[in-house]
Amino acid sequence: MEAASIPQTPTPPQRKLGDVLRDNSLWLIFGLVLVLLAIIDLKEQDNILPLANNIKDGLSVGTIWALIALGYTLVYGIIELINFAHGEVFMIGSFITVSLFVTFGLTEDTALFGLIIGMFAALVIAMLGSGVLNVMIERVAYRPLRGAPKLASLITAIGMSFILQNVGLLWRPTPDSAPDLIKSQVELFTLFGVDVVRSDVFAVAVTIPLLFALLYFVGQTKYGKAMRATAQDPDAARLMGIDVNKTISLTFLLGGLMAGAAGLIYALYNLTIQFNQGFTAGLIAFTAAVMGGIGNLKGAVVGGLLIGFVQQTVESRVDNGSAWAPAVVFAILVLVMVFRPQGLFGEETREG
Amino acid sequence: MRLPRVPAMSRSTRLGGEVMADLLVATNVTKRFGGLTAVDNVDFAVPEKSIVTIIGPNGAGKTTFFNCMTGLYKPTTGKVTFDGKDITAKPPHVVTQAGVARTFQNIKLFKTMTVLENVQVGRHARLKSRITGMILRTPFVRREEEEVERRSRELLAIVGLERRRYQDLASSLPYGDQRRLEIARALASDPRLLLLDEPTAGMNPQESDELTVLMDKLRTELGIAILLIEHDMKVVMGVSDHITVLDGGQKIAAGNPQEVRKNPRVIEAYLGSQA
Amino acid sequence: MSAIRNTFGRVSGLVPFWVWCLVWLLAAIAFGFIGDEVFSDELYDASITTLGYVMMALGLNIVVGFAGLLDLGYVAFYAIGAFMGGWLMSAQFSDRDIHFLVSDVTEKLPGIHLNFFLVIFLAAAVTAFWGAVLGAPTLRLRGDYLAIVTLAFGEIVPRVFELSESGLFGIGSTNWSNGRQGITPVDKPFAPIPGLDEITRLDITPYFFIALFMVVLVLFLNFRLRDSRLGRAWIAVREDEVAAAAMGVNLVRVKLWAYAIGAAIGGFAGAFLGVYRNTVNVDQFEFGFSVFILAMIIIGGMGNIGGVIAGAITLSLFERFALPELNPLTQSLIDFDITAISFGIFGFFLLAMMILRPEGFIPNRRRKMELHEGEDDETATGPGDESLYAVRG
Repeated sequence: MEAASIPQTPTPPQRKLGDVLRDNSLWLIFGLVLVLLAIIDLKEQDNILPLANNIKDGLSVGTIWALIALGYTLVYGIIELINFAHGEVFMIGSFITVSLFVTFGLTEDTALFGLIIGMFAALVIAMLGSGVLNVMIERVAYRPLRGAPKLASLITAIGMSFILQNVGLLWRPTPDSAPDLIKSQVELFTLFGVDVVRSDVFAVAVTIPLLFALLYFVGQTKYGKAMRATAQDPDAARLMGIDVNKTISLTFLLGGLMAGAAGLIYALYNLTIQFNQGFTAGLIAFTAAVMGGIGNLKGAVVGGLLIGFVQQTVESRVDNGSAWAPAVVFAILVLVMVFRPQGLFGEETREG
Repeated sequence: MRLPRVPAMSRSTRLGGEVMADLLVATNVTKRFGGLTAVDNVDFAVPEKSIVTIIGPNGAGKTTFFNCMTGLYKPTTGKVTFDGKDITAKPPHVVTQAGVARTFQNIKLFKTMTVLENVQVGRHARLKSRITGMILRTPFVRREEEEVERRSRELLAIVGLERRRYQDLASSLPYGDQRRLEIARALASDPRLLLLDEPTAGMNPQESDELTVLMDKLRTELGIAILLIEHDMKVVMGVSDHITVLDGGQKIAAGNPQEVRKNPRVIEAYLGSQA
Repeated sequence: MSAIRNTFGRVSGLVPFWVWCLVWLLAAIAFGFIGDEVFSDELYDASITTLGYVMMALGLNIVVGFAGLLDLGYVAFYAIGAFMGGWLMSAQFSDRDIHFLVSDVTEKLPGIHLNFFLVIFLAAAVTAFWGAVLGAPTLRLRGDYLAIVTLAFGEIVPRVFELSESGLFGIGSTNWSNGRQGITPVDKPFAPIPGLDEITRLDITPYFFIALFMVVLVLFLNFRLRDSRLGRAWIAVREDEVAAAAMGVNLVRVKLWAYAIGAAIGGFAGAFLGVYRNTVNVDQFEFGFSVFILAMIIIGGMGNIGGVIAGAITLSLFERFALPELNPLTQSLIDFDITAISFGIFGFFLLAMMILRPEGFIPNRRRKMELHEGEDDETATGPGDESLYAVRG
């Protein structure tokens, strides 16, 4: 790049209040919303229980969004492409899960030991299934178009998404119910007045180990290093002897694994699965990824939790909330992409 | 070690006996990208109808400076005026409308358009057709379109491109012709100042000579001032009225070709960068 | 394939352009008069909706094909246009009593009833405004970000309509969309001219000619703009924004015009389709529709007006007929209802198209060049765009 000028120790430019505010604008907005909701609750009921519930629910459903968002962010980080079919990978994960439950004969009455073994096996298989599916999608729809303009890959991604949705439609033409294996609504304990039920704990309990495993893999292993190198500079990575194609496939695999896990959690959380759950879920999770800073793993998780909170808040406080929530999330997507495309943790583009 | 500042050119300059007003004036222009200072406090002026060249080792900040002049980058500090009007940080199309046109270091022609269409786009800023007129194809619009085509052909002839190539795709032209096309396209906006970024890059000596002749022709026949970034010293010495030398983002020398050639700091910058 | 194209090119070069247009126009008019007798009623009906889709494709072509702005939310403009038709030509706002140039029968009905020919232009104008409004935030976005934001808008707009059954966003109490039932019936077109003064739903011939007339207008607009300085500016912007801006093209203004005009055409066609189908219902407006229209442009050859029309006709008729016709065959051979995978077949088609022939069947020579640029570059890992960062503009 350009040679630096002969240094006179530069005085770092003063950070003005305006800059600080602008850099943390998303956090500030979020903080304001929290305060506002707290005030509303206090006025209506003298306590902030509804807000606390929103937070609790947001955190637990947010794990699903976080896992799916990780898939988006991993893929975008390495090849700068939005994997449009990722939502469908999540959907297939759910479908595989429920089919496995039936095959294994798991019902609400199965003994605890069998239940745990069965669910664990289902988790592994669903994750692998989704992972492999994601790898296949890359091979078929994206790799042939590596040098082509973005439009081409976006179209193939949409095409792939449609194909998979049709697969889902043929598999289960009407919404199917998943067995309530974890007895999701049973209260386990109460924290600060908020009732925590089994599905909350389950979601978090599945997600946290996966997150740690992923972060360890990407941060500490040589494969993870290869991924990060390829994301930064594919040509240099290639020159260093990294097999870029394999690394990209690995990235898709990881993203798919996360989406598969999300599929299982969703099935047990929502208790209903249907072929088009991927479209909306995909967009919501994508919003989370963008909000966190696309390409940033930590951001995807935080974004997922935040979006979960938003979704729960809207659903519980607004009339016809479950129809409103996606619209609100999409509006957030637009606002973030237009006003703060780097999200919470992303970097400024060169001409910010 | 901070180099002593080189004084800016005086507001009016003697040029071949005539006193010329400054057309483009840059004052204290600095451009920082994060921690990197690409252009450091540069003062600069281009008088009317003159040919001024910026030289300097690779990475000295020349193209970045150009970009600051034309609105592609927003200078971190500093001011740029053109013909008295402040054009600092104005969007590129406003700068072009004011009368500054440019070419690019890696040729940015519209590859899927024909030679003629490329030049026609260059005239966009000078045209006044409005939507309703375009849809109805009023006499005014028809006349304007005819004028655009006529003027485009004229400019292509001036830069020396053969008529039979006008309907060819721009990308099918040989390299040297592509550079000429880019110049013709820039001329289409009737600029008073033309910024050329390494126009002779990749050209053989004969093509470079032809380009030098063209530049002189533009100056004398069309009255256009030219600001050039160049590496080819023969061209630089041959065509420039005035040379400014940048190194590491700073202006380290300025003057006429004879003065600059002998300037020890300039020699050191070039030799030093080769070491 | 290219041999056919070359001969076609040579033959068509012999005949001046306007003669070709006349030939096609006459053929269309002939079809209009005898189509339902020579072919089936179903085909005739399909041809009318096809004309509507042709308009939409031409509109989207301005945004995507000319200006290169990847818009995945075109269905929003269809919705706005259709609802404009629904609001201004039905009993939806039965507490009002506004009539303008309508038939005697309609004169007596409650609600707002304006003349069809006025409404389609009003719809175009309103939709144009919204096109600019929705386009404005996207101006500095690149490639896929732009696509996603437009997609989000394409989802938000129909939902706004859906959620405005009692008041806009629940504010007020006007029923804007009648929820899942939709607005129905919608007035028939009317003009005090013989042939247009007694339109019923039994004889759909007048609808065909109205649609044809609208298509001709839209085509006229397209050709004029394509060959104007705005058209050149659009192509320049699509090719290289930075260079275009340096040539004096005001990026903001030029892009907003693309959105506005593209949207206007979508609203124009949308109003017609709402009237023709006699119902405006939020369920009609889904993401799949945006992709459907986009696919027409892609198949036909983006930017190429003739190609886009061909693509629109092909895809529209294929969707309507090909699979249902094929069904008896597959049912008998392998006991499979092929219409159940029409969505998947469409997806597969998109996939195949982009991999094998992204420039479309009747390619614009420009697009062909652009799309095959990165082909020999086996070492590429990322998309072929040069400018990664959005240039100010």
